[in-house]
Amino acid sequence: MSSDEIIKTSTGMTTSHRTEQVSADKAADDAYPTSSKYALELNNVEAFYGTFRAVAGVSLKIAPKSVTAFIGPSGCGKSTLLRVLNRMHETLPGTSVKGQILLDGVDLYGPKVDPVRARCLVGMVFQKPNPFPTMSIFENVISGLRLAGVRSKSELESVAETSLRKAAIWDEVKDKLHQPGTSLSGGQQQRLCIARTIAVKPEIVLMDEPCSALDPLATLKVEELVRELAVDYTIVIVTHNMQQASRVSDTTAFFSMDEQRAGYLVEVDATSKIFTNPKESLTEGYIAGRFG
Amino acid sequence: MRLSALIATIAAIIPLIALIYFVIVRAIPWLDAELFVNNPLDKPSGISNAIFGSLQLTTAAILAVSPIGVLAAIYLNEYASPRVASWSELVIDVMLGVPSIVVGMFAFMVVVPQLGVSAGAGVVAIGILMLPIVVRTTQEVLRLVPSSVREASLALGVPVWKTVIFVVCRTAFSGILTAVILAYSRGLGETAPLLLTVRGTFAQNWLDFGTTMNALPLTIYSYSGAADSRTLGQAWAAALLLMVLALALNIVVRARTVNSRVA
Repeated sequence: MSSDEIIKTSTGMTTSHRTEQVSADKAADDAYPTSSKYALELNNVEAFYGTFRAVAGVSLKIAPKSVTAFIGPSGCGKSTLLRVLNRMHETLPGTSVKGQILLDGVDLYGPKVDPVRARCLVGMVFQKPNPFPTMSIFENVISGLRLAGVRSKSELESVAETSLRKAAIWDEVKDKLHQPGTSLSGGQQQRLCIARTIAVKPEIVLMDEPCSALDPLATLKVEELVRELAVDYTIVIVTHNMQQASRVSDTTAFFSMDEQRAGYLVEVDATSKIFTNPKESLTEGYIAGRFG
Repeated sequence: MRLSALIATIAAIIPLIALIYFVIVRAIPWLDAELFVNNPLDKPSGISNAIFGSLQLTTAAILAVSPIGVLAAIYLNEYASPRVASWSELVIDVMLGVPSIVVGMFAFMVVVPQLGVSAGAGVVAIGILMLPIVVRTTQEVLRLVPSSVREASLALGVPVWKTVIFVVCRTAFSGILTAVILAYSRGLGETAPLLLTVRGTFAQNWLDFGTTMNALPLTIYSYSGAADSRTLGQAWAAALLLMVLALALNIVVRARTVNSRVA
């Protein structure tokens, strides 16, 4: 991926231009090595709601095509930090971000970066499955592309199938693509949302407690899916479920809250290390279930 | 207690039943095809000028007002700061409460001197009465669209304006249509502003908003004092038509609200 790729101004960029850009990205992706060793690099990142500091001084490096789990007690800023990573945090009124985030070596909050373009590259799956209520399964999957101006029916159909296959839901929905997305079960809806997210070909997929509204079987399916997706995507997953973190992630970052109720990074390491031999006693206490 | 409450309920329903009964019984003998075809200037057997006048006035007003009202509601719900939104909502609520005769007088004093006594002036007056209904109802419907839908769209890299039009409004489309129908049905029955602006005519007027037009409420008003049974009967017939139209629209609104996928 070329390093100036996320730098697009929101004005002057026509929709068709952007779609070409999306498909061109993939080609560029294969042709050139990435400019940075890391998919994401966070340097002293802070996030605010008004004057309240929700995330304090987080520095973290995330390797490409890996699964990174954010764990920690409620209110420690995991979800906020996740929303900072695709510039969704700023869509809420009164919020702000400090520090530096490098996405493939490019400053995500740099003056030339279009947040809309950034959100194409860094997709997000939410806690509660949120398919568009008035759209069919098919329309849901291709919504991102269609809203970006893709008109070609054959392209949309092929992307829909690929995305639904990748999200391991194709076999369950292929005969009812034109039924409403909301007619599916919770677990299926969540996989539909994952399909919708990867349909716009992101580099990174953020998942905010994607299984917390699902039953154990549906959770298992989504977890298997996360492992499969890590072949093509860099995944950052927030979870309250420590077994889940140990099952799906390569790297685990443990967060806690300081006296001012600001979330900070306690430690980050290989998941096997965090769960067997963490450096910090705070991490050990949380893993062992002594608090949190 | 229970018995007295029951009696009170019956007492409340009686006027409605009596009203519907009287209108239907008095109007039925005069309901025929000629009523819809002829206008009183050519043949005394019809009130087509009023029927189609009403439809033209209300349709013109809704066409003018809906885009403004829906866009205003979108602005207030999706873009405006809470401060601006709450002040604007206050203004709109006040507008909703303004008696229609006051709006009629305003149109008479301000619009009629510009446009003359004309259908155009009537459209302005009805439009002023419809606008807050469209804005307020649309706003309520947009509020029902969960924020998770907006977030899902933004997270896909969809710009805000596209999210608003193609996701939020699409989700709320059925409800927005309901808001427009509701405003239409309210506009259909407005009488006071028409008395001061359009005044009515015996002639058939097709789409000439520069001169006078007739409307069902105006026909009811001017015919119900008549001495001859035909004119009086036509007043009842006009009343029945107006009632059926308004009732039908309200039933449509009700059915849509019950089946609404958003709510």
